[in-house]
Amino acid sequence: MPSYDFDAIVIGSGVSGGWAAKELCEKGMKVLMLERGRMVEHRKDYITEGKGPWRLPYRGTLPPAEVARDHFLSKWGGADRTDRTHFFNNDRLNPFDFEGSTPFRWVRPAQVGGKSLIWSRVTLRWSQLDFDANKRDGHGSPWPITYDEIAPWYSYVEKYAGISGSRENLPHLPDSEFQPPHPMNAAEIWVKERLEKAMPDRKLIHGRCANMTEDKPEQGRSRCQRRAQCERGCSFGAYFSTQSVTLPAARKTGNLTLLSDQVVTSLEYDPATKRVTGVRTIDANTMEARVHRSRIVFLCASAMASTQILLNSKRADTGRSFADSSGVLGRYIMDHVMRTHFWGTVPDRSLDQFITYGRRPVGVYIPRFRNLNGQDADADFVRGYGMQGSAGRVPAAPVGFGAAMKDGLRQYGPWTIQFNAFAECLPYKDNTLTLHPTKTDRFGVPLIVFNVTFRDNETRMMKDAARQGEAMMRAAGLINVGSREDDHVPGDAIHEMGGACMGDDPNASVVNRWSQAHDAANLFVTDGSHMASTSCVNPSLTFMALTARAADYAVKQAQANVI
Amino acid sequence: MLIADRRSLIAGFSALLGADIVAPLARALAAEAPAGPGFEASRRVFMAEERDTLTALSDRIIPKTDTPGAIAAGVPAFIEMMMVDWYQEADRVAFMKGLDTLDGYILARHKKPFAAATPQQQDEALTAAMNRKIPGLADNFFEQCRQLVILGYYTSEIGATQERVYLPVPGRFDGSYPYASVRRIFSS
Repeated sequence: MPSYDFDAIVIGSGVSGGWAAKELCEKGMKVLMLERGRMVEHRKDYITEGKGPWRLPYRGTLPPAEVARDHFLSKWGGADRTDRTHFFNNDRLNPFDFEGSTPFRWVRPAQVGGKSLIWSRVTLRWSQLDFDANKRDGHGSPWPITYDEIAPWYSYVEKYAGISGSRENLPHLPDSEFQPPHPMNAAEIWVKERLEKAMPDRKLIHGRCANMTEDKPEQGRSRCQRRAQCERGCSFGAYFSTQSVTLPAARKTGNLTLLSDQVVTSLEYDPATKRVTGVRTIDANTMEARVHRSRIVFLCASAMASTQILLNSKRADTGRSFADSSGVLGRYIMDHVMRTHFWGTVPDRSLDQFITYGRRPVGVYIPRFRNLNGQDADADFVRGYGMQGSAGRVPAAPVGFGAAMKDGLRQYGPWTIQFNAFAECLPYKDNTLTLHPTKTDRFGVPLIVFNVTFRDNETRMMKDAARQGEAMMRAAGLINVGSREDDHVPGDAIHEMGGACMGDDPNASVVNRWSQAHDAANLFVTDGSHMASTSCVNPSLTFMALTARAADYAVKQAQANVI
Repeated sequence: MLIADRRSLIAGFSALLGADIVAPLARALAAEAPAGPGFEASRRVFMAEERDTLTALSDRIIPKTDTPGAIAAGVPAFIEMMMVDWYQEADRVAFMKGLDTLDGYILARHKKPFAAATPQQQDEALTAAMNRKIPGLADNFFEQCRQLVILGYYTSEIGATQERVYLPVPGRFDGSYPYASVRRIFSS
């Protein structure tokens, strides 16, 4: 056997990388975790946490010139807010091929923890409906796994991460291992009662999220303190992030080595043994190039970056990526469609006496109701969408100036509720991520070229969601009902998936049912890139479950000397 | 926030989560005034008269009542910082022109600058600006001014903690909390 520096290398430190490191370390493996971004330590480096608005630069909003220069993409994830700008990519220094690509809002993090520090924390299980989707309507690579196979892994990660929500017994939105939900406010309860009575096939339920409502003292974490400043980092460890959950667990084993500022450029591959033999890095500060060696590699660099790394890992003999014998590497790039909004105002004046004390990290959810039992007769699309929203009151907007206006600004406006729809995006073989033949970034890595567009099925769903949304608001008795569609640009949901899809057929997919590369038995790809479809629910919980499952499988295979 | 409140808050959480949480919380609740980009104007571009006009009109838009007003909250300096370091050059020039036009309007009518006019004269001029009745004054000037004063005031320490009720760590959520028990807006 060759000698290795580590038993396993984990590339990336976000939601998936964090889970890979925790599981592999806890199973006794010596693990090297490589992260391209800078170091951010829990608590110590949450530099804006808890600060009042007068202690944030520009009272919270980055100057437009700076946004236009450095954060013209990451602004879609919130980088234009000065309480969190430091957690986002500098788009000028880390570009893709903007000129040659279709519009794509690639929002990237800039630190250890990846997007786990800045995600919206909504955690929803997939159902068998989702795992059957590709097979049923013939799009993309059929999923080789079932809900029942994944369910125990959902439970496993949920119990440790701490997920809040309400039990609803919906077959198409299975319940998690829940802590109590974050409560609804007066207006949400009002809408729920009326909507569910007027339209019995619709449900308005508590949002489900990775913000705890109970303490986990054994992890040094406390329940959510209702600050709703999650994107600054949370010293209470109330929400799931690499820093608060998986990194401490991995470090506790003594088996983890974490290197930040290490840009993985490609994987080294041996065609004779069909194994990945090394991970090539460049130090982002010193530009020093190195090769790290391990028995197993977990690629968790984010859907787009993992696909880029695989495409850039070329065989000397063929000049093509070692991981692309199927010809589908870089194909089926997907993201949720989500720029349909709808809203209404509560007309019941008896609710005017109430406001909210404290701030929740999540609102309410309307689970998918379209195409649940075969194809709906009135639906001109396949699959479906869910709706995320919340009700609230903003300060009144008195006109004029002076003492009367100041007094008027102590009042609240009416209760309004608003939602936006998250729709599934079909896997299209010709929605691609390729590498530019000549242009490279400052580390010498070929630039990504996106050729990704939403099609009729996605835009029809968005229009249907607006119609259905307005109808639901009216049925619930709301007034001033309206809806709006903004530009639907791929990447915008920051739920980008695909590029290295899962499937049983090595001629039509990149990884197998264990998230293991068909072309390299010691390589596992467990982030968004290996998703064969998107469901309509937020993906991170599924990345966690699939990563923990793959880590378990990988260690068993290694112990049995199969890999 | 009172120093005693800060200390008791920190003590409560350190009992729950250990000493590691003290440093970040203490940093967040520290009382010292921030400095540097985004807090202080990187250079001074307003003339004294413009600064005086801005100060006087800020005070008329959000005056001292049972809580301090825009001047005590440092709103004029905030607006100057935004004009110098946040807005583009053309926006800053237009804003300064607006201040000069408003000042000229009072000067022509009352033979004194805006800042030296009586509150009634200032309010009359601001009302004329609001109703777009001042020749040469950009249509959006009053509303831009008003919004900047509102932004600067309610995001200031005075606005967020004295005029509004500051809840840095609410600790709990009540979705049916009676407005009557606070009669203010909560700030964060």
